[in-house]
Formats: sequence, C-alpha cells, structure tokens
Amino acid sequence: MKNKIVISVLAALFVLGMAPLFAGGQQEGAAEGGQAAEQDVVVYNSYWSDPEPKRVEAELMEMFKEQNPGVKLIHSTVAHEDFKQAIRAYLTSSAPPDVLTWFAGNRARFFIDKGLIMDISDVWEEAGWNESYSKGFRAMSSVDDKQYFLPGNWYWWAVYYDTRVFDEYDIEIPKTWDELMAVCEKLKSNGVTPFTVGTKYRWTAAAWFDYLNMRVNGPEFHINLMLGKESYDDPRVLKVFNDYWGPMIDKGYFVESPASYAWAEAIPFMTNGDAAMYLMGDFIRDSYPKEDLEYLDFFRFPIIDPSVPVGEDAPTDGYFIPKNSQNPEMAKKLLKFFGSKEVQEYVAKELGRLVTNNKVDTSVYNENQLKGREIVNAADYVAQFYDRDTTPEMADKGMNGFMEFWQNTDQAEKILEKLEKSRQQLFEE
Amino acid sequence: MLNAKTRYKLIPYAFLGIPVTIYFIWIIGPMLYSFYLSFTKWDGLTAPEFIGTKNYQMLFQDEVFYISLFNNLEWIILFMTIPIALGLTLAMVLNRDIPGAKTFKASFFLPMVLSLVVCGLVWSWLYSPHSGLINEVLRRIGLGALATGWLSNPKVVMEAVITVAIWRQVGYVMVLYLAGLQSVDQNLLDAAEVDGASALQRFFNVLMPQLAPVTVIVIVISIIDSLRAFDLVSVMTRGGPYNQSSVLANFMYIEAFNNYRMGYGAAIAVIIFIISLLFIMFYLTRIAREETNA
Repeated sequence: MKNKIVISVLAALFVLGMAPLFAGGQQEGAAEGGQAAEQDVVVYNSYWSDPEPKRVEAELMEMFKEQNPGVKLIHSTVAHEDFKQAIRAYLTSSAPPDVLTWFAGNRARFFIDKGLIMDISDVWEEAGWNESYSKGFRAMSSVDDKQYFLPGNWYWWAVYYDTRVFDEYDIEIPKTWDELMAVCEKLKSNGVTPFTVGTKYRWTAAAWFDYLNMRVNGPEFHINLMLGKESYDDPRVLKVFNDYWGPMIDKGYFVESPASYAWAEAIPFMTNGDAAMYLMGDFIRDSYPKEDLEYLDFFRFPIIDPSVPVGEDAPTDGYFIPKNSQNPEMAKKLLKFFGSKEVQEYVAKELGRLVTNNKVDTSVYNENQLKGREIVNAADYVAQFYDRDTTPEMADKGMNGFMEFWQNTDQAEKILEKLEKSRQQLFEE
Repeated sequence: MLNAKTRYKLIPYAFLGIPVTIYFIWIIGPMLYSFYLSFTKWDGLTAPEFIGTKNYQMLFQDEVFYISLFNNLEWIILFMTIPIALGLTLAMVLNRDIPGAKTFKASFFLPMVLSLVVCGLVWSWLYSPHSGLINEVLRRIGLGALATGWLSNPKVVMEAVITVAIWRQVGYVMVLYLAGLQSVDQNLLDAAEVDGASALQRFFNVLMPQLAPVTVIVIVISIIDSLRAFDLVSVMTRGGPYNQSSVLANFMYIEAFNNYRMGYGAAIAVIIFIISLLFIMFYLTRIAREETNA
C-alpha cells in the first residue's frame, strides 16, 4: 500500500516535470503549422522597471495590441541592473528577444561594431524618421550612414532643490560657482545640509564628476577622458578633485554616510528639510513624494569657468532589434510604433520625459520639460553619462575611485594614479 | 549472455554510470572549461582569445584581489569562532529542562529559515544610518557617538556584514550541538564529577572530546560557507564602499558579469577553487585519519 502511494507520487512528479516539454512541443508545432501564426509573434524585453515608466509602458503595450490584433506580443520587464547583465546573453543566443531597450551612444555602438544589431535603415526610410528626427539623433543612431538604433526619449540632469527651503532662507538661484558656494555656506550655517546624495550604487557620485570635470576642464577634455584618450593622472583631473569636489565634502556640504543609501533613499532628506539640493536626472520626479512635487524645482549646474564651453548630461534611451531576431518584420512594426508621433506624444505627456520625434508638438510639454529642454539646447556639448560614455569596465573602476575619494579626500593623487593604471590596462586590452 | 554473477557485479556500475555521466557533463566539464577560460580574454560576445597567464599576472597585482582575500580570511576566522562559542553556549543552556526551552530553541533557529537575501535586506534597514534601529537605539541610550553608517563606513562595513552571517549561523550551530549533546554519555560526566574534576575540566576534558565529531562538521560547514560568501555582500553592499567589503566570490561576479571580463573572472574562480580545495583536502584527510583511528 505504502509503496503504491510512493510510486504514484513519483509518477505524478515525473509527469508534471515533463508537462512543460510537451507544452513547448505543442507550441512549436502550432507555429510551424500555420505561416501566419509564426510571423505574428514579437518578443520585447525592456528595462523600464521603475513604477511610473512601468505603468506607462504597460499602457503602450495595450495600445499596440489594440492596433495589431493579429500580433502576439510577449513583453517582459527586467530590472535595470539585471538587464545590463543579461543583454550579452540575449544578443549571443540564437533566438533573442526581437526588440530590446538600450542606451544610445557608446553602449549601443559597442554592439553595433560587433555586428549584433540589425541594420534598420529601411525602417528609418519608411517611417520618415530621416526627416522627423534631428540630425543629432540620427547621427547617434548611425554607423557608416546606416541606422541601427531608435532613440526613444531622453532627460536632462540638473540641480534639483526644494523651493520651501530656498524661500525660508531667502536664497536666490546660484548661477556661478561662487554663488553656489555662498548658498551652501548659508544653508550649512542654518543647519541645513546643502546636498543630499545616495551613492550606494555609485553612479550618483559619477554625476558629480561629470559636471565638475565638464565645468572646469570643458566637455571636449571630458569626453576624451571617457574614450581613454586622456589620462586620469592629468593635473586637470586632480584639480577637479582637490579644488572643487574635495572641499565640498570636507566642509560637510553633502549628507553623512551617502554610501548607505540608494539614490531614491536619499530623497527624504530633501522632503523633511534636512537637505536642500540633489544633483539628479529628471527621473527624480518619478520617485519624489506626490504631495511634495509642487515644491520641487531645478536649475542648471552653475558655471565654474565662463571661458569653458558648456556641457550637459542628457542620457538618451531607445530601442534596437538584435541581429538574430526571429521575427524581424514584427519587430520593425513594433519599432515603428515606438518611434511614431502618437506614442512619443503619449510618453512625453504621461512620463514627463523629452522625446525625439520632431513632429511631436512642443505644446505637449509642460513647464518643467520646456525648462529642461532649454538647458540642454543651450549647451555646447551633450554627454550621455559617465557610465554610458566610457566602457563598463572603466566605469566600474572609476566609480570605485570616486567612492574611495569620498571617504579619503586627501588621497586624490593616489586614487587617480590607480585609475590611470586601470585606464592603461583596459584601453590597451 | 552474461552469467548471473557477472551481471550482479556490473549492475551497480550501470546505475552509477548515469550520475557519473551527468556529473562529468555538468560539473567536471564546466570546471575544466573555466580553467581554460582563465587563460583567455573573453567579453562574452566574441570568441575567447588566448592570452596565456596574463589574467593571473594582473590578478596578483590587483589591490582588490588582496582586499577580497583578506576579507574572506576575516570571514572564516570570525565565522568559525563566534558561532561555535555562542552556539555551544546556547546548546548547553537550552539542553537543560528550563521552562520555555523549546520556544527559545525555535526562536534562535528561526533566522536560519530566512534566505540570505531577506536577512541582508532586513539588516540593511537596521543598519540605516539616519533612521535605522541600531543607530536610533545608540542615540537614545546616549551612545550617539558610536552611531555610524554601518554599511558605508569602510572601517566597519565588513564586520557589519559578517555579523549578519553570524547572527544567522548561531542557531544552526546550536541545533547541531543540541543533537550532539543527546549522544553524550551522562555517566562519564557524573563519574568525572565524583572524581572531583572541576567544571572547566569536565567541559574541556570530558564533554568536548565527545562532541568532537560535531565540532568537525561545524568547522567544515563554516569554512565552506565562508568561502562561498556572496549573497549578503551582494545584497547589502555589492562590495562597496570602494571594494572595502568585497569578497572573492563577489569580486569574481562583478568582474565577470558587471565588467564583462569573463577570462579575468574565471581566473578569480580558479583561485577560489584552489583555496577551497586546500581546506577540503585538509579536513578530508583529517576525517579519514580519525576514522581509521576509531
């Protein structure tokens, strides 16, 4: 009797274990059976995993399904960090997802050069994007005048501040470095920490390096440093650390123990009045408490040297089709959908990002978006962001260097020597 | 075909064949492949390129490698001593028939039920410098000077992470010793007492030798767990700030899957393998010797 039960349990487990295999087989069989069924599938993986973007994207997916009732859309959202690690596995597999989200610029270029991204010049042609997208975005998506990428939306970086704190201490928006330092001093003397920052995942510190280096040494030097053409032990880099960044940390202009917080965990310091400002991308709005949003405003990172051209960080996110895509026709359809005026307008309105299609009327933008756009339009050079402009390996070493500096502001020289060693190793490889 | 006797002899091998084949395909094969990868430069996309021992040369000059190695050693030492001391003490106390012993046993064992990721997350909140329970309590009882960013202060971050691992391990060690105490011969202890042995003498000379097999198991488990340490570091700090809480497994993971230096990652994996092998060989030979002695 006992044996019988054991056997039937084992049998049941065995059958259950096999079930997915049979189900898989059936699915494939069905796909092979009808031509139409095989074509009408499109697999889309995205990294829009924060609550707000996720909501908007879910709505977009519904829109696509309504417009294309015959198409089976398989959409999954993968958290940002995991997505970055998974993408190489996607791209080298024989049946990758058909459409993927990714970062414009160097990060996409890396895969294009390896021949892993599909040439979509025909989509650009058919959709009329060659006319409706600005030259800058077209250049960003092209290699040898062939298009591989669709820039979808972008956002700006700026110094965000809480208007309540600025009003309370009667503070004017600082336009120059001296003014910013005066503001910091005033806040500090009133017991308010000037800047909040959460550096647990390090990139928030990289934003500080980006801006200080661009403002002090100019965007051209900065981008060459990112490309490995300038060295980290250059006295110009040291100046950024010892003359600007270090003194700010030493004077206590940043909240204590920033490395304990993820970027969004540092927001409460602002909303409860302990800190006043945050150097952040506009996605801060997605995580800022709803009831405090009306007090959140921003200004351009102050100018340090007026003789230096102005560079801004404005990362662009977009889409591409992997070379091995099994459903290229449907993938192109989805891409056209993402690049369409209609969808772009929706994203601009719902998510507050800036979009890339020129056909989108600027009237869809709210005051914030127009102001952010103005900051970027006024810039002489637009960078993507530290970990997008340089290689992933170098970004890892660099950001660790920034974190080490944060704890040991007197060690800049030693830290930069170390980074220079990494640069030589990584760019020579 | 075959006579019954040969068949009888062969059957075990036929059965063994299946797991051994699987073992070779899934364990030994990939292991050898990792050895090969450690001599290559591979970004996960293009074909691996053979570069000889360059990965190892770089590794032995890499500061992070030594930080990680040192942290692993610290982990092993703390992880062997503290949980054994606390676990054994708890087991001794709770082995008596004190009221509520069962409840205490259960509650000390409870952390073991949680996954390491959950422990890491919960403790990250406890450690939070601004509003975490630990700093809050320190401030309330007038020890505010001790409050710090437990996971961002490079001086204490490693110990803060190891504390979580220890907190989880103590209950487990306690249960192992409780089981061991069941097989202790009470007559020997009583006899020693009658002979006038002091409590300390009874503990070290009568009780501990009887618990030796449990202690060996606990030590082996502790060492293996220390070398595998990854989850807590990954969840709580990712090795930060600036690698001060990095351990070898985390270092390998970051290099291979974050920085896409698969060859370099494989070289780190090989080093971890060699270190583990040293410990495992040492204990296996020890156990073998003890078994032949007994």
